[in-house]
Amino acid sequence: MPSVKRLASDSSKCIGCGACMTACSTLFFKVDDPARSCISVTPSDSGSKITVCDQTCRLCVAECPVQALTVSSQGVVMLDRKLCVGCLACVAVCPIAAMRHYPGSANPFKCIACGACARKCPTGAIGIVVEERS
Amino acid sequence: MITVNGSPHPWREGMTVRDVLEERRFTFPLLVVRIDGRLVPRGDYAEAQVPDGSDVDVMHLMSGG
Amino acid sequence: MTESGFDIAGLEAGHRPVSEFRYEKRPVVRGYNDRTLYVNVGDGRIAEKPVSADMRAKFTGGKGYGLRLLWDAVNPSTKWDDPENEINIAMGPVCGNTNYPGSGKSLVVSISPTTGIPIDCNVGGYFGPFLKFAGFDALEVQGKADRDVIVFIDGDDGVVSIFEAPGEAVDSHVLAEQMVAMFARDEKDRQHISSVSAGTGAEHALIGCLNFSFYDKRRKVARLKQAGRGGIGTVFRDKKIKALVVRYSGLDVSSNNPADLAGLQETGLKLHREIVTLDDQQCRMREIGTAHLTEIMDEYDLLPTRNYKFGSSPDSPGLNSHAFSAMVTHGLPDGCWYGCTMACAKAADGFELATGPYRGHKVTVDGPEYETVAGCGSNIGVYDPRVVMELNFYCDTYGLDTISFGTSTAFVMECWEKGVLDSTRTGGLEMTWGNGPAALELLHRIGRGEGFGLVAGLGVRGMKKYFAEHYGADPKLLQDIGCECKGLEYSQYVSKESLAQQGGYSMALKGPQHDEAWLIFMDMVNNRIPTFEDKAEALYYFPMFRTWFGLQGLCKLPWNDIEPADNSSTDEPAKVPEHVENYLAIYKAVTGNDLDRDGLIRQSARVYNFQKVFCIRMGKGRRIDDWPPYRMMGPVTVEEYESRADRYDKQLKEQVGIDPSGMGTPEKVAALRAYREDRYEKLLDAVYKRKGWNREGVPTVETLHDLGIDYPEVLEVVKPLLV
Repeated sequence: MPSVKRLASDSSKCIGCGACMTACSTLFFKVDDPARSCISVTPSDSGSKITVCDQTCRLCVAECPVQALTVSSQGVVMLDRKLCVGCLACVAVCPIAAMRHYPGSANPFKCIACGACARKCPTGAIGIVVEERS
Repeated sequence: MITVNGSPHPWREGMTVRDVLEERRFTFPLLVVRIDGRLVPRGDYAEAQVPDGSDVDVMHLMSGG
Repeated sequence: MTESGFDIAGLEAGHRPVSEFRYEKRPVVRGYNDRTLYVNVGDGRIAEKPVSADMRAKFTGGKGYGLRLLWDAVNPSTKWDDPENEINIAMGPVCGNTNYPGSGKSLVVSISPTTGIPIDCNVGGYFGPFLKFAGFDALEVQGKADRDVIVFIDGDDGVVSIFEAPGEAVDSHVLAEQMVAMFARDEKDRQHISSVSAGTGAEHALIGCLNFSFYDKRRKVARLKQAGRGGIGTVFRDKKIKALVVRYSGLDVSSNNPADLAGLQETGLKLHREIVTLDDQQCRMREIGTAHLTEIMDEYDLLPTRNYKFGSSPDSPGLNSHAFSAMVTHGLPDGCWYGCTMACAKAADGFELATGPYRGHKVTVDGPEYETVAGCGSNIGVYDPRVVMELNFYCDTYGLDTISFGTSTAFVMECWEKGVLDSTRTGGLEMTWGNGPAALELLHRIGRGEGFGLVAGLGVRGMKKYFAEHYGADPKLLQDIGCECKGLEYSQYVSKESLAQQGGYSMALKGPQHDEAWLIFMDMVNNRIPTFEDKAEALYYFPMFRTWFGLQGLCKLPWNDIEPADNSSTDEPAKVPEHVENYLAIYKAVTGNDLDRDGLIRQSARVYNFQKVFCIRMGKGRRIDDWPPYRMMGPVTVEEYESRADRYDKQLKEQVGIDPSGMGTPEKVAALRAYREDRYEKLLDAVYKRKGWNREGVPTVETLHDLGIDYPEVLEVVKPLLV
């Protein structure tokens, strides 16, 4: 059975400190900028809303005209930037806005379940899980 | 009697926009319906009542090749 | 043999080089290369030409560039098969961006074999964008080769070569695969190869089309989009070109080098989201493409049946969108260029052919689009979707236009019905309404260049002449029922009840294609443009607006086959104002130049009027050439009148002011005809006036001066006609 590796979240534990976004954008874009983080934490009525790819719906994979988006052996949706033509159709079809894009950059970006953010989370609101899927 | 796109159309009690569209066989999806100049949102066709004597404008937009 | 199943090494062994040209590669700057590529397949000359500042300012790109180059290449007596005639493929500044849906169109122009005047086609596929990123805003192909040649433009290495290619296939579904197998360096490279080709039918008929390929990575098939109208495929094979091939492997968002990438992305994303969220409640383009229209046209009495006699049929449900939806493969990103989330390029996979040279083959069929369903279906009385699919496949691979084939076959069938044709004249084909096998066999005979296939391949205007000369048929009857204007077959809408659309068709510069204006709903159903002046305004605005797509390398469909959620509450919903704003925004984002609505219309008006003068220069384009066959204006026959007797009687009474009671049907037909023809004359007057033309349909010096296209060679054409 294929597995899915993903970043799971529990918003009830989130204190909205933003450490995850700092960790993510610093790692991938060398800047501390929430707009360049694969995980997004925004205030909500009940505290915080955590938005990140759950790796399972795969609408983006189906929509990509160049097959730059594929599912890895670990069940993670990955973008091959060498193949990407920057059409952003994947961004449009993502139902939870977890396929992200920074204006003016060539390619979109998304969570690859690396866990860098989870290691910086002070409350354990996020963490990598591996689930078996049928 | 009501007017639909400039031509007369029989009216009856309880008539809705959807009834008018069905009776005129207006099946095209891109319609803009106005009753006496007032826009009827697409989602409201089944409920929107058409009063007797009203002027119903069913504008068909364009699509295709 | 290679993996592809083709003996590529064997094919290559047959190649003989003709000429080669190396050029300096330069990046595109804000949508423009500012140079074009000239290839002469007759004498082997290859050269690059700079684009002058004036050409860029006045002609913008795309069709404008193609026409400007074509004008300079030909003279007033040039015929379609003269060596100086060209096939020009041009793109436009916005073409090739991957962010805004519908941005991959190539515009193709040539002197048409069926009209003798410039024809233009707007076609998808990867060739145009790749050609542009290879370094050229247009490709100009001139001359006639002695032996079959292929032209290869290697946009990666900056080399253009012509070589003789005796072994390659001619039919497009095979040739396009061969080109991918031959030129792709590896599996990944296949998507970087695109070809233009025609087919064996284009060698024998005047209604040949071009196929532009786009490699589908998931299906692993080189798919085809058609530059269908006006016989450019025929010109292509007359020049003995087997294929034009381009390679470009560096595609990304910088290929078109837009001035403001972030702005372009923002506008593109807005439309992507609109399509993704609203299309399934609107036109279902992502599900079945333009074939969604069939049942709608049938419902509104606009679906041509039996050579445009009628607008609907009880059998039409056989061809409805659900029938074809069940045949095509779903869930694939079916854009004919990257970034088109409208994804209307549907295809059936594993379709087993029942007839012809490829019988038993399982093939991918691109389409059918609405025009093909109507032309190769209802208009010839065929309601079996498998027959339509097979006609679609063979038209494409033989390089024949499905619209012209459909309208020509409908004419043949009506001539059969009226006794003009019989089986001795058709070589044994029973051309009765709905005879699908006969229609397929006719198509194969065109493909083989055999017997009656050669006659049908002349198109409607050619057949009218042939039937009158050889069979003594009544020329007046043939004129009434032969659905062509200027020599081009009509596309597939019944225009009888919409005067504005009669004008939209017959005044269209290249001939009766609906790409200039589709006003039937606005005119006939909405009753929104009742006066001649209203109709003239619509016949000014929409042709000008829609010409702009062809200057930019854009597709028309994402303009109004999807609409924003709040479009209904805008002032002019039919114009889709938000999308017009999108176009101005992406034009600016690509070129860096501001453009407003008036400026957009002005860009179009320059090229439109230039094309009009070009038509006049080539011998057509006057008032007499804008006259439709009566079949497209009203009921020709008693049968047609009586099929809609209530409607026509009412019109006689209420509009003409004649009491039809007591009149015989022939008398009523004549009375209605006199009324309608008079109204058409009045429409011509109103439209010419609005367009700045004289009563004969000739642009005035003031109009040309105002648009800045009063070049001496342009004035020379119109001046003798304006006295």
